[in-house]
Amino acid sequence: MSNTVTTTCGYCGVGCRLDVHVDDDGRIERIAPTMDGPSNKGHTCLKGRFAHRFARHRQRLTTPLIRDVRGGEPRPATWEEAFDRIVSELGRIKAEHGPDALAGLASSRATNEDCYVMSRFMRAAIGTNNIDNCSRVCHSPTSYAMRKSLGHSGASGSFDDFELADALIVIGSNPTEAHPVAGARIKQAVIAGMKLVTIDPRRIELADYGDLHLGPRPGTNSAVLLGLAHVLHRDGLMDEEFMAARTDGWEELRDLIDEWTPEETERVTGVPAADLVRAAHIYGEARNASIAWGLGVTEHKYGSEAVRLICNLALMTGHIGRPGNALLPMRGQNNVQGSSDMGALPDTYPMYRSVEDESVARLFEERYGVALSRHKGYTIPQMFDAAVAGDLKAMYIFGEDVAQTDPNTAHVIHALESLEFLVCQDIFETETTRYADVILPASAFLEKDGTFINAERRIQLVEAAIEPPGEARTDFAIITELSRRMGHDMGLETPEEAMLEIAALTPDLAGVTYERLGRRGLQWPVAADGTDSPIMYETEFLTEDGRGQLAALPYKPPGSEASDEFPLVLVTGRRLQHYNAGTMTRRTGNLELVDHEVLEMHPDDAARAWVSDGDVVSVRSAYGRIEVAVHVTDRIEPGHVFTAFHFPEVRTNLLVGPSMDVNTSCPEYKVVAVDVRPVSEAPAERPALALA
Amino acid sequence: MANVTIDGIEVEVADDATVLEAARAAGCDVPTLCFDDRQDPFGACRVCLVGIEGARAPLPSCTTIVRDGMVVDTRDERARRIASNVVDLVLSELPHAPDPDTELARVAAGFGFGAGHSPRWPGATHVGLEAERNHPYLAFDHDMCISCGRCVRACDEVQGTFALATVGRGFTANVVAGLDQGFRDSVCVSCGACADTCPTHAIWEVA
Repeated sequence: MSNTVTTTCGYCGVGCRLDVHVDDDGRIERIAPTMDGPSNKGHTCLKGRFAHRFARHRQRLTTPLIRDVRGGEPRPATWEEAFDRIVSELGRIKAEHGPDALAGLASSRATNEDCYVMSRFMRAAIGTNNIDNCSRVCHSPTSYAMRKSLGHSGASGSFDDFELADALIVIGSNPTEAHPVAGARIKQAVIAGMKLVTIDPRRIELADYGDLHLGPRPGTNSAVLLGLAHVLHRDGLMDEEFMAARTDGWEELRDLIDEWTPEETERVTGVPAADLVRAAHIYGEARNASIAWGLGVTEHKYGSEAVRLICNLALMTGHIGRPGNALLPMRGQNNVQGSSDMGALPDTYPMYRSVEDESVARLFEERYGVALSRHKGYTIPQMFDAAVAGDLKAMYIFGEDVAQTDPNTAHVIHALESLEFLVCQDIFETETTRYADVILPASAFLEKDGTFINAERRIQLVEAAIEPPGEARTDFAIITELSRRMGHDMGLETPEEAMLEIAALTPDLAGVTYERLGRRGLQWPVAADGTDSPIMYETEFLTEDGRGQLAALPYKPPGSEASDEFPLVLVTGRRLQHYNAGTMTRRTGNLELVDHEVLEMHPDDAARAWVSDGDVVSVRSAYGRIEVAVHVTDRIEPGHVFTAFHFPEVRTNLLVGPSMDVNTSCPEYKVVAVDVRPVSEAPAERPALALA
Repeated sequence: MANVTIDGIEVEVADDATVLEAARAAGCDVPTLCFDDRQDPFGACRVCLVGIEGARAPLPSCTTIVRDGMVVDTRDERARRIASNVVDLVLSELPHAPDPDTELARVAAGFGFGAGHSPRWPGATHVGLEAERNHPYLAFDHDMCISCGRCVRACDEVQGTFALATVGRGFTANVVAGLDQGFRDSVCVSCGACADTCPTHAIWEVA
């Protein structure tokens, strides 16, 4: 007999509901999609269904590890010893340098409750707002921009809007690889008659299904969006009644888009003027139209501004606040939405209430029983800068491999080496744990209770199907225990109690209880009576004056551009079979399907560089150099190359520089000028850091 | 809304509901073989045949839309006899009985064809077809394929990858991935929707 546990997938932001079948020995027999899962409707992808073997991989951390000598091998330790070491070191550094010399990272793969207690730990037990999470490096620009334009940080609708829309624009997102079930739903909607426009420097799979594909030069999204706005205006495709009743800022925007004629847009972006006009008409003429975007929009120097320009299109046409008319950011990790919603950010408490807001701070002080800091903490990039500068002395990193996934790897490693004390809490040893003084064995999503929030703001239950291996503990148990030992007893025994506390402190989540979440979850804001919000902004926006804010933000060129020395532009992204740093998927059968990284290169560029399919090449940027095999394909436009970042053997992020979004410090992963040359020898075992 | 009587039970269902949906709403169990909730009704297997008052012959409940006032008999003798013969014929083409935890085995048991049942019409089976074992998650025993088409439709209608197709005619009809390249070398994205829906474990998940 087997036991079935219904939980929420821990792989991407789609939030598939899964039935996990567990045998009598507590091992996973198989995983099947839940028929009534609101976002997956009985379907899932190879990651959700099959890639669970990592949870019992022999390399799982099963005991705390302590490194007595920097650079030495870590040794197994007891929890008691590990906690003692952490408490004494964090305590010493706080006493010597003040609480702001410490910083913590919560994880977008962890539950809301894990992220909440982690932020409470940093704020109340340590006394600093130096808490951030990995959404900093993916969708922080989305969050920032949607709050400015519309009032709240989250999709305005749901995945169901794909089926209700007459037209959809997908920009800077490759759903069939990165969000496979959403990608499958988009395909079905297209087959059923929805018009689809894809905008991406790569000819993504959905482009083959769509009506029109625009391939702008990397870094020119804003110009495309201004050009689309120009045509909407020029050709009378705006909903002027909606704009008059519900938006501000049209005059400024009108003056700005005036110059963005299709011809001018073509000059800047390379998108044929006629295609741009057609795309604007498809969106503007549709009765119901939605826009979905991903990190191809956000991970740029002006990523947050591009998201505001996306919001403009919806506000100009009234394609918002109705079924089929959604703005849908495709969230990368399973809980990118939730980790930020929970206030694991240096400037906000749960649901984006400022740490500088006196009344909010008092509310939390009353609950926590300690004084809380009123000034913003460091963002992730600022943490690394502060560590290198000697201002930040200790970090507690939970569920993130910054040394592999963050940009400018050499700088990150320098920062980690500069710290006096580093704690990592993870399920495997990673590139980052090499620099840790204490490594704590944590639990995977299949081993914990709590909730995730998917890309459609849906709070869904996560239920443990199996036990953590060995002495590994849940993140929730580790953090609350450590907080108690640091003198701040949260009094939270279970994740459910944490959620009740969050709900009590957060009006937007007031009605959230595990019982109400049930099998289908709830989409925030959730009123005290449990009513949720599948569609936002039906009658008013949540900005200060209740009106949508059109943004007149000019196009600015990206932080990195092709030059004589670096003639190609590298774009990085994700592949279907793997997931981010690959710590999970590389330890499953998925590795059998894709076992190495490749650099995608257009045949013209390959010919110019004298390389052919399968050759190993050296890829050099101003910041670093890697070696990788080439895959010659016309899926990518000439002048560009593409690779993913799933394999530590190919440390793609060595190439990415310090350029980042001007408003949110989200790194510019999507535009890196590089030079590609053949190498004659076999690839190096480990890539070299940049030569200073 | 339409009022329908199923085995004497009155139910109110949407105008575009199928007889199968109405039967389920009434709590009447109608066996199916080629049907999957995630796919459009296909009407191929004839296992869901029911008697409908006024109809000249039994009709497949999965593809028949209700009419107001319709009277349905899910236990109609002729419908059940045809369905029973269909299931028996399906069993007869397999080289061995399906695994007890397959949908086919459950449906067959409902017709009284439990373990140890010998098909009434023994004859050719699909024995001898090469099995696929080169994928980390998916295996394909072509000799257990009953050509219901659920895997092909899962790939088309649920996943949208169109990796699977039916090839061959008549008794030799079978399902292949890509141009008979197998899962691994076709455009298959390994989502597993085919194994998920397969009623015979011809396509199955490698544990």
